[in-house]
Amino acid sequence: MPVGMAFGVLATTIGFTATQAVLCSATALAGAGQFIALNLMKSGADVLAVVTATTVVNLRYVLFGATLSPYLAGMSLPRQALLAFTLTDETFAVNVNDRRQGLSTGASMAGVGAVAWSGWVAGTAAGALAAAWIGDPTRWGVDFAMPAMFIALLIALAEDRRHVSVAALAAALAIGLPALVPLGIVVPASWVIVIASMGAATIGAVVFR
Amino acid sequence: MSSGYIWAIIGLMAVANFLVRFPPIAVVSRLRLPAPLMRWLGFVPAAVMGALVAGEVLRPGGEYLITPRSPYVLAAIPTALVYVKTRSFLGATLAGMVFFVAFRALLG
Repeated sequence: MPVGMAFGVLATTIGFTATQAVLCSATALAGAGQFIALNLMKSGADVLAVVTATTVVNLRYVLFGATLSPYLAGMSLPRQALLAFTLTDETFAVNVNDRRQGLSTGASMAGVGAVAWSGWVAGTAAGALAAAWIGDPTRWGVDFAMPAMFIALLIALAEDRRHVSVAALAAALAIGLPALVPLGIVVPASWVIVIASMGAATIGAVVFR
Repeated sequence: MSSGYIWAIIGLMAVANFLVRFPPIAVVSRLRLPAPLMRWLGFVPAAVMGALVAGEVLRPGGEYLITPRSPYVLAAIPTALVYVKTRSFLGATLAGMVFFVAFRALLG
């Protein structure tokens, strides 16, 4: 919700109408990807660059989808499509958590998706409509809304020592990769998350048998 | 910024975001995956979140900011504690924003 509001405010400040901001949230449901899109649009990037950057940042959803899919075996394609559409960092974390506690069913996953989608879209609408009144959203700490949510999701997903080790390794890679530029190793910023997490998961899968 | 430019981006983002989400679910759920791949997938969520948190907290806006005076670093710690205590995603997000505003104001 607060992150959705932040998107609504920021989108209207760079020239989206309220309708466009809400439609963008409702159809893309891309979280961090949407903020990156706004940043690039503000700097005048062309359409292809904006769409490519958001897609690469959201490549983690390929991994999420593959991770969830064993739970979804036997579900019909249209229902899988619906769940895929509402797959976000939050819904993924909640579903994986529920699953571990044996609470997850097809219906509960659909419910989680519906709640997350409504919150994100309603937040965007509220932010877009109240933009003039809210003013500069950074005054309210929205810069930290996304990091705070990721911190909570990280704790929810790091269930044991092996997962904590892999998360720490991914963190070190994510911080270390951009520092390699002086050595001539340039990892594009939008790829850092994907490469760091795939690398750490691979090392984890090899080390922890 | 032209309206056509905005609409083109909205449309293409919608398509691209569905394409990264749906095919892996549709295809992988119909296969029997080998054990090592399943193990790898089990580590992916924690790894992605670890990388995201590190990037957001230690490189906010894509610039290194690794100091004990960073409001991002300072706010991260109580935010984690709030989540551990409450197990509420929304609560931790809102608390994190409050901590962040407070530390930023304190550090000027």
